Amino acid sequence: MAGIGIEHVTKRFGGVTAVSDLSLEIGDREFVTLLGPSGCGKTTLLRLIAGFMAPDAGVIRVGSTALSTPSGVVPPERRGMGMVFQNYAVWPHKTVYQNVAFGLEVRRVGRAETQTRVARVLEQVNLAGLERRYPSQLSGGQQQRVALARSLVVEPGILLLDEPLSNLDAKLRERMRWELKELQRRTGITFVYVTHDQSEAMALSDRIAVMHAGAIMQVGAPRAVYARPVNKVVADFMGLVNLISGRVVRAGADDGVVAVGGEHPIGAPVPPGAVSGQTVQVAIRPENLRLVPASAADGAGSVPGRVVEVTFLGNLVDCHVTLDDGTRLRIQVDPGQTPEVGQRVGIRFDGRKSSVFG
Amino acid sequence: MSTPLQAFPAPSRLVGAEHVVMAGAALALVVLVALPLAFLVGGSLTGDDGLTLAHFRDAVTSRLHVQALRNSLVLGAATAVLSVTVGLPLAWAVSRTDVPAKRFIHLTAVVSYLTPPFLTAIAFVNLFSPRAGLVNRFVRDVLGMPALTFDVFSMAGLILVTVPHTFPFVYLLAASALESVDASMEESAQILGAGRWRTALAVTGPLVAPAVLSGALVAFVNAIALFGSQAIVGLPGRVFTLPTRIYALFDYPPQYGLASALSLIFVALTVAALYLQRRYLARRSYVTLGGKGSRPRLVELGSARWGVLAFCVAVFVVAVAAPYLTLLAVSVSRSWGLGFWQNLTLQHYRFVLLEYDVTRRAIVNSLILASGTATLAVLIGSLVGWLDLRTALRGRKLLDYASLVPLGLPGIVVAVALIQFWLRVPLPIYGTLLIILLAYTGRFIPLGVRSANAAFRQIDPSLEETARVTGAGWLRTFRSVTLPLARPGLFAGWLLVFVPALQELSASVLLFSSGSITLAVAVYNLYETGALGPVAALAIVTMLIITGAIVLATRLGRGVAVPSAERAEVAQ
Repeated sequence: MAGIGIEHVTKRFGGVTAVSDLSLEIGDREFVTLLGPSGCGKTTLLRLIAGFMAPDAGVIRVGSTALSTPSGVVPPERRGMGMVFQNYAVWPHKTVYQNVAFGLEVRRVGRAETQTRVARVLEQVNLAGLERRYPSQLSGGQQQRVALARSLVVEPGILLLDEPLSNLDAKLRERMRWELKELQRRTGITFVYVTHDQSEAMALSDRIAVMHAGAIMQVGAPRAVYARPVNKVVADFMGLVNLISGRVVRAGADDGVVAVGGEHPIGAPVPPGAVSGQTVQVAIRPENLRLVPASAADGAGSVPGRVVEVTFLGNLVDCHVTLDDGTRLRIQVDPGQTPEVGQRVGIRFDGRKSSVFG
Repeated sequence: MSTPLQAFPAPSRLVGAEHVVMAGAALALVVLVALPLAFLVGGSLTGDDGLTLAHFRDAVTSRLHVQALRNSLVLGAATAVLSVTVGLPLAWAVSRTDVPAKRFIHLTAVVSYLTPPFLTAIAFVNLFSPRAGLVNRFVRDVLGMPALTFDVFSMAGLILVTVPHTFPFVYLLAASALESVDASMEESAQILGAGRWRTALAVTGPLVAPAVLSGALVAFVNAIALFGSQAIVGLPGRVFTLPTRIYALFDYPPQYGLASALSLIFVALTVAALYLQRRYLARRSYVTLGGKGSRPRLVELGSARWGVLAFCVAVFVVAVAAPYLTLLAVSVSRSWGLGFWQNLTLQHYRFVLLEYDVTRRAIVNSLILASGTATLAVLIGSLVGWLDLRTALRGRKLLDYASLVPLGLPGIVVAVALIQFWLRVPLPIYGTLLIILLAYTGRFIPLGVRSANAAFRQIDPSLEETARVTGAGWLRTFRSVTLPLARPGLFAGWLLVFVPALQELSASVLLFSSGSITLAVAVYNLYETGALGPVAALAIVTMLIITGAIVLATRLGRGVAVPSAERAEVAQ
């Protein structure tokens, strides 16, 4: 019932196009994340879904009803959605109880039922006992839960979340992440989640929509988007990646070959349209590179280089290696095999897991 | 290792610069505020034969004084309510709607705020005095509807001429509060199903209520202290108020004791209102921090925007256009009447600027006094602010609080206190410019202190610490880091004192002599003689000087803006 259809939506602010001819289907009970850098239009899209603004072109439907069109918008208060803001927007002049009960008051829910439902939802977000506190007496994490409880208590079919975790410290963020996922599974509410944090997006989402410059670059399950980015922008935004230039030796998705770091051929999924000799960009993630002894660097799929920087990160070690043609690569290795700066090494490319862009 | 390390200086001196500064600031406050106040209290309790409560008994039993107290309360309350009625819609329109001509609306409030209240009063007398008022004459003689005339010499008239000066307090505070309410606070209510009105009632209203109430109380305090309009409009209509009663007690033979007692009752009233304001603000001040969601959400008014604009234009007409056009017209008319174009003249300007030496002296005196006061107030303010923010001296907070005491003292009370004090001190400054300078400085110290405090507060201490680490001494740091950074703020503070000092009447009217007459007193005296043309000309000249000063200070101070909400808070 609460699937969302976004069809060819455009939104401009003055001369700037924030969302450009964007289409996206979000299924009922799905957890979809809009992921992208700041300014990519993800928050604008969320606010279009909420009904805070009208699209300049296109339609937004929920179920089969068109809620937003350029000629008219169902106002936010009549959409029955929930929304959690980045800064929580917990009303400072109301207690926790009053904050959460507000949506029920608006809906003229009886006193007794309001009490039960507020108590239940506060229980759910672990805030029981804090009903009479004012927001200024709560920690950031607790305020964030109040915001969550406030939007959940009205049992919305759709919950919109605008970077809800970005103001929390790292530990709390991790826990809330897990709690949100749990909550979505339990309630079956459709979640539309905006973030610029790709690890958050991957941990939470059924599907991720990567946005850039007002358009969706790629939509898909986290694993698929991570492993097979459709372009450089997506590859770059989804986790660490080395973008190096290469030359096509042979085209072919399964048996393609690209020369990198001078004249060292590695197997790579070269798009069928590419021609031999064409310059391409190869995107390969640090975990698909392995350090091997320099002596092993002459075999197929291994490229010689020199370690220029080593950074200890705790559970792993970050190495920067320069290939002979100056290409710089980032490789993550186990602390047990930390190389020396200046050491000659070989790099083994797991080229099948790379992506090649023209 | 070629150059040996310089020896460290001795760890501490017994008396540092900060102690000297502290002593200086404290001394200034004692002379300007504490001693006169002490003599005021003393005077109110001293009779012909020692200690007595007779003055207070007189003050609260005499029908005349009780009536004055009641009138002051009525005036203050009505003005406060009307200030909200006018100021809040304006603030809402500017900060929350797509009403056209926002700059014009804002300027209306600012100009109203800067206009000397006694000028508004004089202008309205020219329009609405029962017999000679232009509007009344038009309604009665031309339209033939005498029932529709309006007598300005009444409580209603007094309120009418006071509100243009006080609604900007509500406007400035409310506008800033409305702008700082994070839009997501309202959007949260909306997405939970609350409509526009419900959202306004449940969320926006409570969030801005402290600012609005605060503005209303500031309006109250200011309204009851305005001697000029209460004398010009109130006295002819026999609407006596506390300031005019106190003023009357200085007619020969002066009744110092009773005047002091009445002054203290006046102070109690003012302080009570300010206390309420503080307490309410402290308990219910919601600083809503605007994260990235802090876009102001503008209400699209549709065709209603023209209605809203019409309201704003009406305010402009009453508060700005009517007074200024009237004064301008009167100042160039041979005689005030309906046949305006037949008798244009510049004789009134020639009179006040060239022929009448009293007005010329008044202009010079007021310029000296206003610049002197502004400089002193900002200087003392800087000392107090610097002590508060940059040292850990004991007593610096006390100093800061003490410097705010004059906020609770209406101008006429400052004058009464100074008279009590300086008449008993063997220094012949009574009747000189110096006593007026002391009165002004005492009155306006709070403005200087708050401006300086705000200016210094914006400078992160690390900026100064960097200079110190780099080797600059205390004075050098102050000169090359602190002062340049604080300059715009200090200039703003200077202007904030200069403008009201130039038009000060409440204290000057008791302290002036023929040699130390000030601009506002000259206007008031001319008005008393019935010379309406010269009064209007002098009023226009006053406004030109104020405008010129603002332009000049803005040029010099770069970044000094016209009054903002912060200033209004400072000015309360």
